[in-house]
Amino acid sequence: MPCDDSPDDLKTLWQEAGKDRPVFSPDQLRKDTERLQARRRRGNSILLVCLSIFVATFALGFFLVHNTLSRIGSILAVLAFGHWLVNILVERARTTPDLGETSALLFYRAELVRTRDAHRQLLWRWLLVPPPNVLFDLGLIQTYAKRFPFIAPIEWFVSAVVLAVFLVWAPVKHLRAARTYQGRIDALDAAIKSNGEVTN
Amino acid sequence: MGIKVDQLESQDELYRKVAEEYGAALARLAYAYEADPDLRRDLSQEIHLALWRSFGKFNGRCSLRTWIYRVAHNVAASHVIRQSKGKRNAPAFLTLEEAEAQAGQDNIEISADRGQALARLFSLIQRLDPLDRQVILAYLEDLDAESIAEITGLSAANVWSKIHRIKAMLVRQFHRGGRNAL
Repeated sequence: MPCDDSPDDLKTLWQEAGKDRPVFSPDQLRKDTERLQARRRRGNSILLVCLSIFVATFALGFFLVHNTLSRIGSILAVLAFGHWLVNILVERARTTPDLGETSALLFYRAELVRTRDAHRQLLWRWLLVPPPNVLFDLGLIQTYAKRFPFIAPIEWFVSAVVLAVFLVWAPVKHLRAARTYQGRIDALDAAIKSNGEVTN
Repeated sequence: MGIKVDQLESQDELYRKVAEEYGAALARLAYAYEADPDLRRDLSQEIHLALWRSFGKFNGRCSLRTWIYRVAHNVAASHVIRQSKGKRNAPAFLTLEEAEAQAGQDNIEISADRGQALARLFSLIQRLDPLDRQVILAYLEDLDAESIAEITGLSAANVWSKIHRIKAMLVRQFHRGGRNAL
C-alpha cells in the first residue's frame, strides 16, 4: 500500500534531484577495493613498525640504563605497547554487521556501540602510557643527573607533558566522546522501547 | 579473492543494472546525508563500493530493493557517525520538530522556486537523526510503509506514525501556490 495515494509535488520535486549522479564501473570499484585493502595493509604495517620501535627502545633501555625504576618502567612499557598492538590488530580484524542483512536501526545502534567502545578503549590505552614512561624517566634522572645536569629538567619536562597529555587531556576527551555516544544509544533504546518492536 | 568468473560476471551485471535503475536515488540519498560536495562524492563512492561487494552475498531472502536501501543507508549512517567523530562542535541530530523550527518560519511555494524548495528540503533532512532521515528519504522515494519497515527495522505501526508526522511537517514547510504540497 503506497504511503500517499494523491499526486505529490514534493515527491516529484525530490525525483528531480540526483540527475548529476556519479557513475562507477565494476572495474573501477574492483580497483578501489584493491586500493582500500592495500591502504589498510600499509596502515597496519606502519602501526606495527611504530609500536615495534617503541618496544625496541624500551627493551634497549632495560639493558642500557642500570636502574631499578628504569627497568621496571621498561618492562611495563613493553607490556603496555604490546597490549596496544594486539588490541588494535584484533579490533581491525573484527567484522562489522552485514550491511544488507542488518536493518538500518540495528546497524545504526551497532555502529554507535562500536564507536563508544572505541573511545572507551582509547581512554584505557592512553592511561597505560604515563606510568612506565615516568618510571623510566625517574630512573634516568637518578642515574645520570650528576654527570649530565641538563638531563633532570628535560626529563621532568617530558614527564609533565606525558602526564598532562595522557592522564588528563586524552582521557577526558575520550570520556566525553564515549558519554555522548552512550547518550545517543540511550535515546535510541528509549525510542525503540516506546515505539514498539524492532525487526531485523 | 576466491570468486569464480561467472559469479564475478553476475555480480558486475547486477551492479550495472542497479546503478542504472537506482543511481539517481542513491545520489539523492548521498545528498541527504552529506552537504559537503567532496565528502558527498566520497560517500557515493563508498555506497557503490559496498553495494557492488554486497552483491556477492545477496541471497534473495529479502527483495533486491530492500537490500540496496539497507546497504546504502547503513553505509551512510556509518559515514555520519565517522564524520561527527572527533569534531568538538559537530552538530547534534535533531528531532523532526527541532529541525523544522530551525528551518525557518516561511512556507515555501514549490512551483515558484524549485531550487530553493529543494535546498530547503535537503537542509531539513540533513539535520535529522539518521532513523528519521531514513524514513523521510524512503517516503520521498515513494516506498510503502511495509518496505520502509523492512529496511529500517522499525515496526510498520511506528513507520506509519513517523510518516504521519513527516507529512504534517512538510505541509507546514511547503505549499504549491494556494494548496498544500501533499
